[in-house]
Amino acid sequence: MIVAERRHLSEILKNIEPYNKVLILGCRGCVAICSTGGDREVEIIATALRIARKRQGKPLITYEATLIRQCDPEYLANLPELMKDAEAVVSLACGVGVNLIADLYPDIRVYPGVDTLFFGANTQLGVWQEKCRGCGDCIIDLTAGLCPIARCPKNLLNGPCGGSQNGKCEINPENPCIWHLIIERLTARGELDKLNEIWEPKDWRTYLGESPRKRIREDLIKNNKREG
Amino acid sequence: METRSHLEKILKKGHFAVTCEMGPPKNADIEILKKKTKILKGYVDAVNITDCQTAVVRFSSFASAIIALSEGLEPVMQMTCRDRNRIGIQADLLGAWGLGIRNLLCLTGDHPKFGNHPQAKPVFDLDSIQLLSLVKGFKEGRFINGEEIKGEKPNFFAGAAANPFADPFEFRVKRLAKKVRAGAEFIQTQIVYDVERFKRFMELAEEEGLLDKVYILAGITPPKSFGMVRYMKYNVPGLMVPDELLKRMKEAKDPKEEGINIAVEIIQQVKEIPGVKGVHIMAIEWEEAVPEIVKRAGLHPRPMEPEIQPPFVVEKVVEVEKIVEKPVEKIVEKVIEKPVEVIVEKIVEKPIEVEKGLEGEEEMDKIKGVSIEFLIEMITNLKAGLKNLQSGMEHIEETLAEIEKQLLGRKPKKIEKVFRKIEEIPEKKVEKIAKEERKEKEIKEIKTEVKVEAKPEIKPEIKVEEKPKEEKEIRKPKKEIKEKVEDIGKTGFKGTYRDLKTRAEGLSEDLYIDKSSGKIVEVEIGKGEKAFKVGGTEVLPFYSFEGNTGQPLKIAMEILDIVPEDWPETLTKYFSDVFHDPGLWAKKCVEEYKAEAIGVYLIGTDPNFKNLDVKHAVEVVKKVKEAVDVPLIIWGSGNAEKDVEVLREVAEVIGDRGSVIGPIVEANHRTLGATAIGYDLPVVASSPIDVNLAKQLNILLENVGVNLDKILMDPSVGALGYGIEYTYSVMERIRIAALYAQDIKLQAPFICNVGREVWKTKEVGLPTDDLWGEAEMRGIMMEAITTVCLALAGGEIFIMRHPKAIELAKILFNSLS
Repeated sequence: MIVAERRHLSEILKNIEPYNKVLILGCRGCVAICSTGGDREVEIIATALRIARKRQGKPLITYEATLIRQCDPEYLANLPELMKDAEAVVSLACGVGVNLIADLYPDIRVYPGVDTLFFGANTQLGVWQEKCRGCGDCIIDLTAGLCPIARCPKNLLNGPCGGSQNGKCEINPENPCIWHLIIERLTARGELDKLNEIWEPKDWRTYLGESPRKRIREDLIKNNKREG
Repeated sequence: METRSHLEKILKKGHFAVTCEMGPPKNADIEILKKKTKILKGYVDAVNITDCQTAVVRFSSFASAIIALSEGLEPVMQMTCRDRNRIGIQADLLGAWGLGIRNLLCLTGDHPKFGNHPQAKPVFDLDSIQLLSLVKGFKEGRFINGEEIKGEKPNFFAGAAANPFADPFEFRVKRLAKKVRAGAEFIQTQIVYDVERFKRFMELAEEEGLLDKVYILAGITPPKSFGMVRYMKYNVPGLMVPDELLKRMKEAKDPKEEGINIAVEIIQQVKEIPGVKGVHIMAIEWEEAVPEIVKRAGLHPRPMEPEIQPPFVVEKVVEVEKIVEKPVEKIVEKVIEKPVEVIVEKIVEKPIEVEKGLEGEEEMDKIKGVSIEFLIEMITNLKAGLKNLQSGMEHIEETLAEIEKQLLGRKPKKIEKVFRKIEEIPEKKVEKIAKEERKEKEIKEIKTEVKVEAKPEIKPEIKVEEKPKEEKEIRKPKKEIKEKVEDIGKTGFKGTYRDLKTRAEGLSEDLYIDKSSGKIVEVEIGKGEKAFKVGGTEVLPFYSFEGNTGQPLKIAMEILDIVPEDWPETLTKYFSDVFHDPGLWAKKCVEEYKAEAIGVYLIGTDPNFKNLDVKHAVEVVKKVKEAVDVPLIIWGSGNAEKDVEVLREVAEVIGDRGSVIGPIVEANHRTLGATAIGYDLPVVASSPIDVNLAKQLNILLENVGVNLDKILMDPSVGALGYGIEYTYSVMERIRIAALYAQDIKLQAPFICNVGREVWKTKEVGLPTDDLWGEAEMRGIMMEAITTVCLALAGGEIFIMRHPKAIELAKILFNSLS
């Protein structure tokens, strides 16, 4: 899932300072699952903002809503309706949601309520760990399913570096050295020889080279047209 | 025989090669580089120029290599993948070849996290092996994208690093083989101290058939001090330091001399290992050691003079040459005349020798140890940010907790309880403090016995009905107080003690007893007869009715390393006869004022104050150590960088005494943590009045290897009227978390540096007047009350200054326990 973290309240307050009526808009997608932007958080943040504003002597009226997803125009269709009385919207969705709102509704003042962090897994209650960087050119078929791009701080392709000690990464010893794990797994599978090959430099175009990236499926576009 | 560089020629002819490392300066001064070059010339076949080692910005390796070349010393330019993508790397390599650089060491590079610009975006477009392939591609006439190089092609003598000591061991040789296949023609290894393991690595390399394909140069670093080896042993991933070596350095009378001996011995041992074709000496910021090592190892004179083509740049600037020559000549003289000066200059330039010595190649580089400068910068920024956040966060946390309670009603009961406790306890304590104050004042008038041997179940308590009386008494004795400083010790507490059970008669015990489930660890301070322990409590301060209160509270008396400049006369009059000699001063504290421990505050070493050197600190500590046998608490100036230098040496002096050293802050926790482990000393872990920062520092120290039973937490205290309530609340929260929330990382005892905070306040220096009362008594009261407040918040060892304040505090402690 996309993992996000609530922004500091003072930042949100600063953004909405000029307004008296604000919509707090949650998303039931990833951010709800990582406890950052679902129904519950919408309620908490709205309340916190109201209290903070009351203390500042500038009471705030909040409207609360949570959409099924903010990354889909379909679910954003009734946003103007929700915004009837509000002057601005604080979106608790990931950056995708905020951007899409900004794209679709140039007149709506939308502010991010969360910082979007990474693609991660919820490894234990309250802990999310990055597992994928979305580089656009998956290589984990060769590394026993463990991604050195996302999980090695130097994204080495011919690792491990000399800082690997007792299976830990020198950059942050709380993390495993992912190359150590890759070697362990491949050794167990009798496939360590794979690593003797020199790994060519990565073609980064799929990641940053041609951003913003776009994915197109002609067949779906055509079908849609036909039906429409 | 076709060779591209002098180094290659030496190796191909079968001579035992010697290279060393030269770290460029952190400024734009080429004279520094020239001086270093002069020192090394003639003793090594080539010199490695590091590429911003440990990710600290320096004079570029490319430019430094050109300077070395123009000075007649052949460079090995190091190139990392950290700061340049494949475009930048190729551009620089074309330029380097064009200007006459022939040797190239290909490295991945240290992560920016370890340097002084951790904010930087790491590049790592390529890794070291891909870089080697790139260089090989150049030889074959193509860029990394496959495009042909039309015209002059770089044909570097390419090298790489190898670390025989990192994990996984078996894969290390495979990775070496990969590097050789990718085009490495020579290898410089990580520092070899564990010769046996290195031998094993070389055997594996032979099995892989690598020894005929690549020249291997063993990495050699002369240890400079015991502190440095200890640091390397415990803090540098991928470096093995045998205990034997640690012992040798510890016992060495002249550690530098011993370090050189060790380097020479290792050179002689590795020379015998088949396949070792030379050595690579890494004595960064100690370049002077290199000629000595080379000479003693019998590797001087070098077999051949290099025939070096000066770089294109110098050729062009013929006219300027004269100007360049002159200063150079002068420098040579200087070097010859005053070698000591040169050394000093170097040390000043990079004060943290450990890292320096270590900084090296990048893979071997794992030595990084993290630059202290960068940590300091980071911490400063963090602190500023955190301060702003703190106030906001606290408010928000409370608000949110409240909201969750109200709106969601889901708050688990357990947590609610803790909340309530947090709210309730301060009230109780405030009440207690109020009583204490009254009692103190009462002391002056009424002489009674001190209840030192109060039973654990007994709690000081004054009947409610008595209160009005006491208050009246407070007003009356006002004037009397003025003259009674001397009486403090003679008086005690009045009051009948009734234990809680009696007072709470008719109530069931579970209504007022709430036993904790945690325990504060005990920390032993000092060694031998006078040693004592602090901590061990299982209850909130003075809650003897709930359980074991652990070790008694302790007070250390503070002395300075210089004559105090800003102490008021009311304090100096007790010590002015001994100010000149820290030894006598300490002795007076122990013999006359019965101090149980001495705190030595090395304030004079503060770079922003007198900036006295390490030698001064060592002398002071030596004197104190010899004069008294009570435990010592050595407190540095608080300058993270300077303290590393000072405390490392001081530890050497007081190591056998089990004295406390501090303050350790996040910025220097690695180096000082290692020092503490090496000498098995307890430490003061100082954090800026914050629960989470205190906890984080404890965790960091534990990661380094300092156990919790060696940590005294200094939460940063404030004096009465100077933020004591903030300190109080943070300490209380830490203690509640430790005892009731089983936050084991916070279960260390508190040390409170009270005297310093109190005696710098304005109030203690104001003269006697009617409104403010007698000056000395005011100071005493401020110090004693600050101490008692902090004891109520959980403090267990206090550093104080005024003898009478100490007496008073003890009376109050005794009557409370």
